[in-house]
Amino acid sequence: MFKKLIDNSTAKSPWIYHINAGSCNGCDIELVAVLTPRYDAERFGFKLAGTPRHADIVVVSGPVTSQSKERLIRTLEQVPEPRVIVSLGSCPRSCNVFKGSYSVEGPLDKFCHVDISVAGCAPKPEAIVLGLAQAAQLLKQKREEAAQK
Amino acid sequence: MIRFPYVREALTQVFSKPSTEKYPFVKKEAPENYRGRIKFHPDRCINCGMCIRVCSPGAIVRTVEKQEDGDLVTMEFHMDSCTFCQMCADFCTKNSIELTKDYEMVASDPKDLIESGTFLKKKPVPKKPISDELPPAPKVDDPEM
Ligand code: SF4
Ligand code: SF4
Repeated sequence: MFKKLIDNSTAKSPWIYHINAGSCNGCDIELVAVLTPRYDAERFGFKLAGTPRHADIVVVSGPVTSQSKERLIRTLEQVPEPRVIVSLGSCPRSCNVFKGSYSVEGPLDKFCHVDISVAGCAPKPEAIVLGLAQAAQLLKQKREEAAQK
Repeated sequence: MIRFPYVREALTQVFSKPSTEKYPFVKKEAPENYRGRIKFHPDRCINCGMCIRVCSPGAIVRTVEKQEDGDLVTMEFHMDSCTFCQMCADFCTKNSIELTKDYEMVASDPKDLIESGTFLKKKPVPKKPISDELPPAPKVDDPEM
């Protein structure tokens, strides 16, 4: 009975962890704007988690610089399955204007599977809300699949 | 007398609407000149390559396929690589690129973020060959000479 209660509550409140892999801070500011009362993603239960071990959805921004690569991999390893990885903006998908730079090791899908990508440079907060909503749906699907196994 | 300085403010806040955007339920229009999803009009493009030249992240890919009556040109705008700077649209002399107000660019499949268009660039019609014959020589018995 308790398990069901916990399952229901976790489905309604996915926790977000945000990794900045060398982003210019544009996307990060927009993500923070999404969590403020103006766009209020917390209406849908999203909550910024303090540690990757508590996270369900990982939001990655930035083109994965050489400095952040090790940390990114280490952080992603700590996120428990099932997890959903959302790429925020153009950088994690393709390195954007930084592609070919000596200090950039991206794109992100070299290191992990990207489930949802939100395009834009930087994406509009509305688009981020939409992306997070899709991520929450995908997370629910993944949880159900994991429960059936 | 005791003063309650914030009572009025508190009361108005209690009875006023929240400032939260009701986003997924009420769609908001993007502001004027917002640079969102790219729309490409292949019927206007002349394959001059100016957009590819000005695009700093190299988000535009052109593939040319040779055909009998010309080149089959495919332009692909990779919106997952774009900075939405609008340089391509500004430099396009034929106005064939347009950045729309659509900001909902969310995809689980990266192919959804590619805008592509194909058109046939016809070969130029060959001009009439210039004849090898020399023009007639001027008359010698011209009185003014
Ligand atoms: S908007 Fe800028 S980055 Fe995007 S395709 Fe056009 S020139 Fe390239
Ligand atoms: S889209 Fe415009 S700038 Fe680009 S090749 Fe076509 S005509 Fe030239």
